[in-house]
Amino acid sequence: MTIIVPSGTGNVYAGSGTIQHPSWSPYDENGGTCVAVSGNDYCVVASSNRLSTGFSILTRDESKIIKMSHKCVIATANCQADRKTLQKTLQTRHIMYMHNHGKPMSVAAMAQLVSNTLYYKRFFPYYTYNLVCGLDEEGKGAVYTYDPVGSYERTGYSCEGTGKDLIQPVLDNQLKASSPLVLPAENWMTALPMDDAVDLVKDAFVSAGERDIYTGDVVELLIITKDGVRTEHLDLKKD
Amino acid sequence: MDRMDLSCLESAPRSRAAELCPADLMSQSVSGSSFPLPQVQDMDAFQRDAMAYIKPNHGTTTLGFIFEHGVIVAVDSRASSGTYISSQTVKKVIEINPFLLGTMAGGAADCQFWQRNLGMRCRLYELNNNRRISVRAASKLLANTMFSYKGMGLSMGTMIAGYDPTGPALWYVDSDGQRTSGKVFSVGSGSLYAYGVLDNGYKWDMAVEDAIELGQRSIYHATFRDAVSGGTVSVYHVTKDGWTKVRGVDVGQLHYKYYPECDLHPCHGKPPI
Amino acid sequence: MFLTRSEYDRGVNTFSPEGRLFQVEYAIEAIKLGSTAIGVKTKTGTVLAVEKRVTSPLLEPTSVEKVAEVDEHIGVAMSGLTADARTLIDHARAETQSHRFTYNEPMPVESCTQAVCDLSLRFGEDDDDGGSGGGMSRPFGVALLVAGWDNGSAVLFHTDPSGTFYRCEAMAIGSGSEGAQTALKEGFRADLSLEEAEVLALSTLKQVMEEKVTSTNVDIASVAPSYHLYSPTEVQGVIGRL
Repeated sequence: MTIIVPSGTGNVYAGSGTIQHPSWSPYDENGGTCVAVSGNDYCVVASSNRLSTGFSILTRDESKIIKMSHKCVIATANCQADRKTLQKTLQTRHIMYMHNHGKPMSVAAMAQLVSNTLYYKRFFPYYTYNLVCGLDEEGKGAVYTYDPVGSYERTGYSCEGTGKDLIQPVLDNQLKASSPLVLPAENWMTALPMDDAVDLVKDAFVSAGERDIYTGDVVELLIITKDGVRTEHLDLKKD
Repeated sequence: MDRMDLSCLESAPRSRAAELCPADLMSQSVSGSSFPLPQVQDMDAFQRDAMAYIKPNHGTTTLGFIFEHGVIVAVDSRASSGTYISSQTVKKVIEINPFLLGTMAGGAADCQFWQRNLGMRCRLYELNNNRRISVRAASKLLANTMFSYKGMGLSMGTMIAGYDPTGPALWYVDSDGQRTSGKVFSVGSGSLYAYGVLDNGYKWDMAVEDAIELGQRSIYHATFRDAVSGGTVSVYHVTKDGWTKVRGVDVGQLHYKYYPECDLHPCHGKPPI
Repeated sequence: MFLTRSEYDRGVNTFSPEGRLFQVEYAIEAIKLGSTAIGVKTKTGTVLAVEKRVTSPLLEPTSVEKVAEVDEHIGVAMSGLTADARTLIDHARAETQSHRFTYNEPMPVESCTQAVCDLSLRFGEDDDDGGSGGGMSRPFGVALLVAGWDNGSAVLFHTDPSGTFYRCEAMAIGSGSEGAQTALKEGFRADLSLEEAEVLALSTLKQVMEEKVTSTNVDIASVAPSYHLYSPTEVQGVIGRL
């Protein structure tokens, strides 16, 4: 078994006024998996609540999803410190936006803001994997997926975090439709009924929990519809 | 970091205006509030390690060429992060405005961010001068920005393609600050394969349909040999009336289009004896 | 012992004992010297009509710019010191583009107007914080009519040098504003079509203008739903319908 242990050897980042330590690294890999599946009028977002470092489990009750408005949530995997800062910054920005413009941000607006916020840390990146999810202006489900420095794309479904390699292929198998780039345009979303999508996400997590040491304990599911955000929990194994 | 990032709380109009103004952006040092830097002595080593952790999306084949009837731009759509394919549906042609296209090779975030930034500056130019910016000027804006971040580890190889009163234009701009105009370019990890097909088939006076086909076929062959290129081939055509997207075909389908009989394919041929 | 008025009207940061800021009031007076600009809102869009005051036949009329595009969905008409308006419009353009860059959506028209008014108010600030708008010596001597399109409906705002702004149905600014507003009050109905609004705006302008209305001494623009500056032929067409 191999895992990446985040401690550089032989790299000394020591400057005046900074911490002098032979293996100083600003990042920790805390694991976690986020999944989002969208449909014609809903979006299901899920994430496991386990927080780990190396082979140790730090807590089994760390929510990784932040609710920005009744139409938009953000799920963030990996480095907990960076996630906290990022989500708090975004929440502050969202509140300021509501004061300035008198309305909550649309998912598209939030998606762009997240991209910029990540990119402004281009030279000292947030070590996070994000999914911005919700309902767009037409009421359709929307999922935006990111790399840590802010390149982003709208998709119908996505998985980020340590369980990505296990879950994304399953989602592709069940949901992949035509590419949105194809001409003449074809339908690029396989829209499941909402209950089926919830079941698919739950199944995916149960399976990932069997093979990924960073996925387990409890899955928090947020189901976004026009009536608001509903939360469900699914117990996984605690081992 | 020894200070908290409170930039989101600063009085909005002032900080935003400062962030925006092209002149300011040029003179602004990168250690300004918009791009915080880690407090380390060896920045290069930090960047190297950070990028090894983070593995931003990369990998591409893109091409562009000028011919008698305008400019053709063709790209693949795969993004990979390490050996993992993070997307097969990346839009690598960035539509800066109805007469300007940018292509994306290198770091996906670097390209997306700076070309969006370029789009905004081109629009401001248009508002202030009551005419569209020339392709030459637009590419220079981008090249100047890239030069001001030289050595910081940005990764971008782009072609700016468009049509202005002087005619069709194609410029290559990269993150080192290099900027050259030319008739035929291909950029990205699969560019060598694309050049092979492209140079072989290129003629100045070819018909539009042949040019589109050449672009598509060049990208297809690059996706065949380059592991980090793939997905969908998109082809754009730029004329004096602006750009149009003319093709979008899944590479899987192209394979059967070009090689309807499996046995005839060079990779599946019968043994020589 | 109160100081006289003339001693309170020099500093922009000092209230008079009666609670007035004379410099701001004088700036508002400056607008009354400016050319007239009219805005009329309808359900399908907003019309802006301005007088150009081509003072000499040697002057190139197209170089007199009294209406400007801020973004695709926002246009402004100005009256007063138009050079000051330039600064405000540059600011508004930067703000709207920045909003698109940050949020990938058009900036709400009210927020754009607010941003312009924030800049209008900065005349009182010191320059030592290095801000872009600090260190101004006087208020902007210009009023704006901001016409825009927000989420499927037309909007019209009026701003003045004090940084105050109001939402309007129809509004006139500049030297002929009093007479024009009376005419607008009579002629305005909520169910005007865009074509009727063009006629109302231009006929009102005609009443307060000293010269005869021609296709070169007025500008008409509409935001319905995107900004469009009328060509001389289009202006002539509206004149024909008066």
